[in-house]
Amino acid sequence: MTGKTKRKATRKKNSNRAGRNRKREAKIPRAGHAPILQQRDPLDAWVAAQAQTLGLAIDPAWRAGVKLNLGLILRLGALVDNFPLPDESEPGPVFHA
Amino acid sequence: MLEIAADNWVWSDAVDIAAAVAAGRVSAAGVVELTLLRIRERDPLLNSFTALTEDRALSLARATDDARAAGKPLGPLAGVPFAVKNLFDVQGLPTLAGSKINRDNRPAMRDATLIERLEAAGAILVGALNMGEFAYDFTGENVHDGAAHNPHDLEHMSGGSSSGSGAAVAGGLVPLALGSDTNGSIRVPASLCGIFGLKPTYGRLSRARTFPFVTSLDHVGPLARTARDLVHAYDAMQGNDQDDPVCADRAVEPVLPVLEQGVEGLRVAVAGGYFKCLNGETLSAVERVAAALGANREIDIPQAERARAAAFIITACESAGLHLDRLRTRAGDYDPAVRDRLIAGAMLPGALVIKAQKFRRWYRGEVLKLFDDVDAVLAPATPCTAPLIGQKMMRVGEVEMPVRANLGIYTQPISFIGLPVVAVPVPLEPLPVGVQIIAAPWREDVALRLAHALEKKGVVGAPRPPP
Repeated sequence: MTGKTKRKATRKKNSNRAGRNRKREAKIPRAGHAPILQQRDPLDAWVAAQAQTLGLAIDPAWRAGVKLNLGLILRLGALVDNFPLPDESEPGPVFHA
Repeated sequence: MLEIAADNWVWSDAVDIAAAVAAGRVSAAGVVELTLLRIRERDPLLNSFTALTEDRALSLARATDDARAAGKPLGPLAGVPFAVKNLFDVQGLPTLAGSKINRDNRPAMRDATLIERLEAAGAILVGALNMGEFAYDFTGENVHDGAAHNPHDLEHMSGGSSSGSGAAVAGGLVPLALGSDTNGSIRVPASLCGIFGLKPTYGRLSRARTFPFVTSLDHVGPLARTARDLVHAYDAMQGNDQDDPVCADRAVEPVLPVLEQGVEGLRVAVAGGYFKCLNGETLSAVERVAAALGANREIDIPQAERARAAAFIITACESAGLHLDRLRTRAGDYDPAVRDRLIAGAMLPGALVIKAQKFRRWYRGEVLKLFDDVDAVLAPATPCTAPLIGQKMMRVGEVEMPVRANLGIYTQPISFIGLPVVAVPVPLEPLPVGVQIIAAPWREDVALRLAHALEKKGVVGAPRPPP
């Protein structure tokens, strides 16, 4: 292999690796931007699915209010979600046996 | 027994009433009769009471007078009328917690611990007070019982969720009331109605036999027109209670003996950053209090905005858990504004709640470090004076935001980690507004001493509303 061909092959290999990395990056949400917190539209589906799962009968007239409140809580939730804490951190309430 | 004219005592504080009863200048029965009369005359405008306990009150008042006549010792709050937010159990009444649903419950078999303790000190319960439904409220509006009105301007909100507690005390119906505070529900109505409110350290006062909201964050405490009344009520209510697993096993630490120690040497700072309110009246109130205390230093409460967010999440999730069964069967009986929030809370990912609780511990550690260098921190209690009843949006600086969710933006980051706070009223015109005096855990004495000193200087005080 000539030097020129070798450089081309290396470029191609790097390019393939970059492509694979891009694909991998696309699948991993960035910290603090988990899909459910980022996308608003899926909230309609989320509300419907959760209502069914939880056995909550939501009058169609209430849906907008529920969605509005859920959206607000999730927006605030993003602030908590994206705050880095060590794995070992304990939650506020500590149970004593 | 001497006759007393209504004008002479309506605006007296609890300490003066107790002294008058103990000295025989007035009878406890006379005080209670005039209190009930005033409530009947004035409350149709304020809408602060949901029930009167007339027979019980008069009976206890007569027993107080008999005890005095027999030369028996009277308690420090002898003959003082008080009322409680209707989430406190009152024997013989269903505990409404501001709801329609709880009207179907059986009457409470026994009083809440704090009622028992106040009555043991001589105070006399005269009724139960209006509140935001299930305490999920900052406005004082209630679709079932109607809004409590602000005594300083009836078109304005009382604040909530201890709405009736704020309106009844500020309106001169009772000198003392009990409320609960999960995210600001004592401090917000105290601020909007222009009275003093104490949210003690989490676990200090027993919540036994009160209807819960968010047990991780629920506190109970007094509202009054003077700081010394807060102290007398607080001292009478302290002490461990096995009926509330959160109530701390601590000895009673009375504040009254140290109340007159003054504030010399106390290091006071002003909360900056997130708490630097952009509304003129609120800013001016904080500046006034800071100047009177020589508080020149500004400190940053780290991650306060996140703390508020985490409190919001824990509140949404825990309250939804409390109400889930009722949401399945009686969702239509809730106040729509509360119902929608509760249903939304039920749909939260659990992982977020765990993260919020982990953040809570981290934040507590960071904030407690601040108390190495200061004894108290000042912050606004509400972002503005009382909005109009029915008002949906408010402006904070340049930002337009919903009233209901945001009246507690400055109280939530503090109760989130259970710090003791006294909300003190700054008598601005046309409407008062409150400032929070925040102390380290278990140092209610520091916040109360500062509140008392400010009141003596005339910097803060409960303004008397128009007749």
